[in-house]
Amino acid sequence: MSSEVAKSLEGKTEDELFYFVPYSSEEAESIGYSDYSYWGSVFQNFKKKKSAVFMSGVFIFIFIMTFVALAIGKYDYSELVTNSSLAFTRPNGEFWFGTDNLGRDYWCQVWYAARISIMLAAIVALGECVLGVTIGLIWGYVRALDSFFTNLYNLINNVPMIIYMTLIALMVGQSFLIMAVSLIAFGWLGMARNVRNLVFMYRDREYNLASRCLGTSLLHILTKNIFPYLISVIILRLALSIPNTISLESTLSYLGLGLDVNTPSLGILLRNARSYFLQFPYLLIFPAVIVSLITVTFYLVGNAFSDAADPRNHR
Amino acid sequence: MAKYTLKRVAQGLITVLIVATIVFLLMRMLPTDYYFSEEQLMKLTEEQKNDQLRAAGLLDPIIVQLARFYRNILTLNFGTSRRIQSGVSVVKLIGTKFAVSMRLGAISLCISVVVGVLLGILQTVQKDHLGDHIVTAYTIFVNAVPHLVSYSLVLVFGALVLGFPATYSSRNNTALSCVLPVTCLCLTSIAGYALWTRRYMVDELNKDYIRLAKVKGLSNSQIMTRHVLRNAFVPLAQYLPQSFLLTISGSLLVERFFSVPGMGPLLTDAISRYDLDVVQTLVILYASLGVLGVFLGDVLMMLIDPRITLTGKGDTR
Repeated sequence: MSSEVAKSLEGKTEDELFYFVPYSSEEAESIGYSDYSYWGSVFQNFKKKKSAVFMSGVFIFIFIMTFVALAIGKYDYSELVTNSSLAFTRPNGEFWFGTDNLGRDYWCQVWYAARISIMLAAIVALGECVLGVTIGLIWGYVRALDSFFTNLYNLINNVPMIIYMTLIALMVGQSFLIMAVSLIAFGWLGMARNVRNLVFMYRDREYNLASRCLGTSLLHILTKNIFPYLISVIILRLALSIPNTISLESTLSYLGLGLDVNTPSLGILLRNARSYFLQFPYLLIFPAVIVSLITVTFYLVGNAFSDAADPRNHR
Repeated sequence: MAKYTLKRVAQGLITVLIVATIVFLLMRMLPTDYYFSEEQLMKLTEEQKNDQLRAAGLLDPIIVQLARFYRNILTLNFGTSRRIQSGVSVVKLIGTKFAVSMRLGAISLCISVVVGVLLGILQTVQKDHLGDHIVTAYTIFVNAVPHLVSYSLVLVFGALVLGFPATYSSRNNTALSCVLPVTCLCLTSIAGYALWTRRYMVDELNKDYIRLAKVKGLSNSQIMTRHVLRNAFVPLAQYLPQSFLLTISGSLLVERFFSVPGMGPLLTDAISRYDLDVVQTLVILYASLGVLGVFLGDVLMMLIDPRITLTGKGDTR
């Protein structure tokens, strides 16, 4: 850039380089502007990372596949019947992913499970984010509430989560909704704490002091003055909470504390296959590859997008 | 220092007490039906059930139960197991199980600290070159993919290709059957240690005193081992005592997955079978070890890095 400028200036005399501009009353009154747009720059920075763009393409493909695959598959999930004579059929033209120990088509089970996992993760991530950011902003900004939320955080966080999950599974039951609500109920803590610490950093900066003196309302300070600084961190946590939720769900379901046995999620599939996949590795490989693609994609895309969303990385 | 220690101990005791109380109250929220096995539920009449509950003191007002609970803790009476191993005292029950978990945990902790820190050093030395990229890919894979999936992959690969036993066995070939569970335990923690070692070392490399060391003519390996690694290890050391103490709790998933008779599944089993004394003792044990671990971590950090003082004004973290 600067070398081009230097080249274009080469060989010009001083008179050509410096000259008086005629007075224009219009231009004297006009206000300069910048064509900087926050989200525009975010996408421009994001597009520069070819690997992340490619991975988001992969994810969108998988997401569409979770719908298409069920439609084009030869068996419908709701109409699966057990047929022991077909048990452990290896992948072939009829059963694309083979069959499980009860002779049910594995293709539709795997894709259905992938859809359930993505849906649960998306709902939990969004819920955690909304709840965590709202409470985090209040926790960080309102001094009087700081000790209350800190104690609440310690109280919930000090008891092992597995106790809560076991109690919920025993007392309330096991279903998609219960799982989503309870994961949100314990997941917002991390996000809120992170937001609170960031709010602490920006709350008493001079520009906020000035803003308060000018009579800006609390809501306006929170949303317009402080929130923009948090976007990149929030996006990162949002993106990372999706693989984390998928992981947590599979662990809990595997232990029998998550979704009920009739909802095919990843954990349930692997739990059912645990005794068999030494003889029939395809029972493990197909769900493992799909879920790994989803989670790794979110991990990479989340990191790239969060870098792009940080205004300090904009030109 | 003595005063500071006392303060920390007091704070820790309060934390443990609060946690124990919450768990105590949570467990009392469960319907008392869970007190009985399914067989008993079918056979016993309402009166018989009430008699048994009364005998166990579960029908007393919650305040009375809580007071009894505190008194038992103070006299170090942790009660007996009811359903996990009927009639065995809780202390004995834990005594038979914790050694298995701790052995697996301690072995994998040692391996993962050594391998993880070495990988972190490799990454720093090879920054933005092949070695760095390979280890980063490994870290991303381990962190992103659900543990259940990566454990399953380890199991299939280890058992089918390398021929290791697929489940833990305490009778024959104990050492060989430990290989896969330990690998699984190491898998994630190696990635963690490598990630943080790299992060801290790269931070450290950009500091001015490293430039001075280069100017003085120190060799690259001297700078790396004597200056960078030593400083970068301080924040890592803080978590070592805690990680070591908590190996006692075992890993729920790994122990279920490989049928290891350890501490991991004990807590959930005890909750779902309403074995109150076992649940309460375990929670008190884990909470105390957690608090103790954090304290020991601070002390260790102070010993490694003389600039850090715990009693001064500055925050230790």
